[in-house]
Amino acid sequence: MTVAVAAAGRTGTWMPEPGFGVYVHIPFCKHRCHYCDFNTYEGLDSLHDAYVDAVIDDIRRAEGDMPEATSVFFGGGTPTLLPPPALGRILDAIRTRVGVASDAEITVEANPETVAESSFTGLLEAGFNRISIGIQSLVPRVLAALGRTHSPEVALNAIVAARRAGFPDISGDLIFGSPWETPDDWRTSLEGVVDAAPDHISAYALTVEEGTPLATLVATGRVPHIDPDVQAERYASACSLLSAAGYERYEISNWARPGRASRHNVLYWSGGDYLGFGAGAHGHLSGRRSWRIRLPRDYIAAVRAGCDTVAGAETVGAEARACETLLCGLRLTSGVDVGSFERRHPGYLAGRWSVAEELAAAGMVEVSGGRLRLSERGVLLGDDIIARLA
Amino acid sequence: MDQAHQRAIAVIAHIDHGKSTLSDRLLQLTGTVSDRDMREQFLDRMDLERERGITIKAAAVRMAYRAADGDTYQINLIDTPGHVDFNYEVSRSLAACDGVLLLVDAAQGIEAQTLTNLYLALDAGLEIIPVLNKIDLPAAQPDKYADEIASLLGCARDDIHRISAKTGEGVPALLEVIVEKIPPPSGNVNAPLRALVFDSVYDAYRGVIAYVRVVDGALSAREPIRFMATAFEGEADEIGIMAPEARPVKRLETGEVGYVIAGVKEVGLAKVGDTVTHAGREGASEALHGYREPKPMVFAGIYPINGDDFPLLRDALDKLKLNDAALVYEPESSGALGFGFRCGFLGLLHMEIVRERLEREFDLELIATAPSVGYELEMTDGVKKLIRNPTDMPDRSKINDISEPYVSVMIVTPSEYVGTIMGLCQERRGELKEMHYLSPERVELRYHVPLGEIIFDFFDQLKSRTKGYASLDYEPVGMFSSELVRVDVLLNGQPVDAFSTIVHRDKSYDYGKKMTDRLRKLIPRQMFDVPIQAAIGSRIIARETVRAKRKDVTAKCYGGDITRKRKLIEKQKEGKKRMKQIGTVEVPQTAFIEALKIDTDVKEPG
Repeated sequence: MTVAVAAAGRTGTWMPEPGFGVYVHIPFCKHRCHYCDFNTYEGLDSLHDAYVDAVIDDIRRAEGDMPEATSVFFGGGTPTLLPPPALGRILDAIRTRVGVASDAEITVEANPETVAESSFTGLLEAGFNRISIGIQSLVPRVLAALGRTHSPEVALNAIVAARRAGFPDISGDLIFGSPWETPDDWRTSLEGVVDAAPDHISAYALTVEEGTPLATLVATGRVPHIDPDVQAERYASACSLLSAAGYERYEISNWARPGRASRHNVLYWSGGDYLGFGAGAHGHLSGRRSWRIRLPRDYIAAVRAGCDTVAGAETVGAEARACETLLCGLRLTSGVDVGSFERRHPGYLAGRWSVAEELAAAGMVEVSGGRLRLSERGVLLGDDIIARLA
Repeated sequence: MDQAHQRAIAVIAHIDHGKSTLSDRLLQLTGTVSDRDMREQFLDRMDLERERGITIKAAAVRMAYRAADGDTYQINLIDTPGHVDFNYEVSRSLAACDGVLLLVDAAQGIEAQTLTNLYLALDAGLEIIPVLNKIDLPAAQPDKYADEIASLLGCARDDIHRISAKTGEGVPALLEVIVEKIPPPSGNVNAPLRALVFDSVYDAYRGVIAYVRVVDGALSAREPIRFMATAFEGEADEIGIMAPEARPVKRLETGEVGYVIAGVKEVGLAKVGDTVTHAGREGASEALHGYREPKPMVFAGIYPINGDDFPLLRDALDKLKLNDAALVYEPESSGALGFGFRCGFLGLLHMEIVRERLEREFDLELIATAPSVGYELEMTDGVKKLIRNPTDMPDRSKINDISEPYVSVMIVTPSEYVGTIMGLCQERRGELKEMHYLSPERVELRYHVPLGEIIFDFFDQLKSRTKGYASLDYEPVGMFSSELVRVDVLLNGQPVDAFSTIVHRDKSYDYGKKMTDRLRKLIPRQMFDVPIQAAIGSRIIARETVRAKRKDVTAKCYGGDITRKRKLIEKQKEGKKRMKQIGTVEVPQTAFIEALKIDTDVKEPG
């Protein structure tokens, strides 16, 4: 069962039974980037050890029966700020308490400047089999403007070194559409990454998130507004360039070589269940979404005091669950399987079918092979389309 | 009191020339209001009036004045509305007087409004007492403006009284002049009762309070009376005078001014200009001259922003109508704005006041279409038609002729702006009728201009082009034929009724361009290109395009936080619910509101 699920996840196709995931959050960064609104902090080095212990204790104390994990994801922040053995101890705790399928995808996020050649071996030894490297750009000027401290060479070397160390699955992250980036800059980044030949590429449009320093810079006119039309252009060039290089887009911002989609990612978009450990980590168990204490210090204190680390939860009602399934599923290139969707959420799609037909007539969605998906034109208008449908 | 000791006067003045302050001073000097009770501008009752610094409703106050000759005189001070929209009401207030004080700011000179009202008073044959106010101001130029008034009235400079209503200087002497120069009333004591209604106000507890001047005969409490124009009959439950608070009396004699309460449920039954007489055989056979039905000149659709408020809007209008005989309204529906009312107003100020009262007193959020005037159509089959809503205009091929209302516009301006004003009036299809130098520095211009051209920002333009120095007044002069067309605005091929308008053919292109350009900036980008067109019939005269949006999708979802993503989508869904659907185009309500504010600029979307 888990094996089948794991294999299916790799195709990037929406699944009615997407498996089971575990997410671990490492909320530390050397420098916080001005566009970032993630739960992460600079200068908390002194907490690293205590944090690792706390996460391990939190995992051990998790209650209830749970299936073996088909995917594990260590995200941040910068997980690789911690030494590989520390990450390995957390992973071991997961194996012991939750169980990890033998062919599970086990990913760690890494920032190029934090991984020396030797780290990759360490991460492999710790049990990771997939690494996601934050390249962001291969143009020094753009990297500097984004507040990233690594150089293009360091980023590309990280991919090469990871492969040399024997990582079977390597992903590179890119950011596009920043106001400092020219079309040529973006092409340079894409071509450079394609040349390094990772198995998986994520390309995210830079988003001005509320409350970030970038939002203030834009609001006060010190950074120009981000033009969605420009981002659309960049996206189009990514699509054609990556497709020509043999990458398939399986989700709005994710491309992979055939069979190399991120299982953990697909699990999120298929409405799957997952546990989340660490500060601010989100989890989902059959319609109940919960999130843990946000501040690392408070999280550690709660674990030490033997308190519950869950800070909040919501039980998602039937209607909202259907909405989630749809909004997530439509982000996948394969779209949602109408039959399985209707079995899971009876009547929901049926009641909206006329809207779907209108959108299909407008060329925004397609219905074929029993699946509803965003059309090529519709992909970049996904939020508007989903708001009409959901 | 015998007629020989009665005086009824009104004050004609421009806004801010000190009418209210002078009234206050007169009340104080005659002891009508004690110093302790004195509050500024006693006669302006409503909040709204106080805020706008204008007088909407006339009031009348009786003062007892012991003159130098030792006799006590009854002076009735009748307040007049100070704005062009209430021209007719001013004329009725003046008809209730025997003379007027022409009050002019000694630092500013006579203004257009004052001139119009002065001409009304002269036409009515009233005695005019010219008064220069604010002589205490450092900027006052009493000699200069005295000359101006003297040349207007054909009197000597010294005949013009100089006062400061603020300090009281010259006001006691003015009281003597009033007694001396204003003639007593000349009504027939023995004739059947005829009392002129010069104002009527609705009171929630008492019903309508009609303010009257007894022209002939006398009225006693409890007598049956009749309003001659509306034929409404009732009993004079209470009659009284204002001094300045209401004080019931047993009898109003010939020449006296007071109020009548007779169980009238709405002001429309006791209209300004009507004649009150006794009911039955004792009643007068002929009403006083000059009555006219209130005639709405400006029309606009008023819609609740929240469609559920339609019944509330209806109730609110019904209530306002009790106190506003000039307000007319009928339900209408608009594809763009939902259900609302087409309302008729005396003018722009009247419209603004009604709208403000609806929002303030009834807590309604409203959206109004661009104001328009009423048009008279002569159809090819000879039938005449009146339209008040541009969307009612039939196909041009079925129309023989269209007429629109014209007004006679009076502008008083420093002479250096004459060229500018002529340019403005030219743009607005005006025709110069008269030009008269009040003095070497100041000119009175009279134009005939279509009212439809005045109701779009004419006043604002005049003010800004003359740095605020020119003043304006106008009065209707009739309907005249014009080359008018209806311009429609289409979104993605669908006409939006709220934006249809009737304009002169020569201006249709400008209007179309302006409106399409505004909408291009106001309508959010959609999934597809949205053409915005302006058209006369099937002919497109202007076109803009709102280009399709290209990207509207969240790049990523952080660490499995699907909740946040769902909430974003739910918010987006809520936003869609507040959109109006015009064909396949979603238009936020704010876009309609902004688009209809024709005289403000719209910024390019960010």
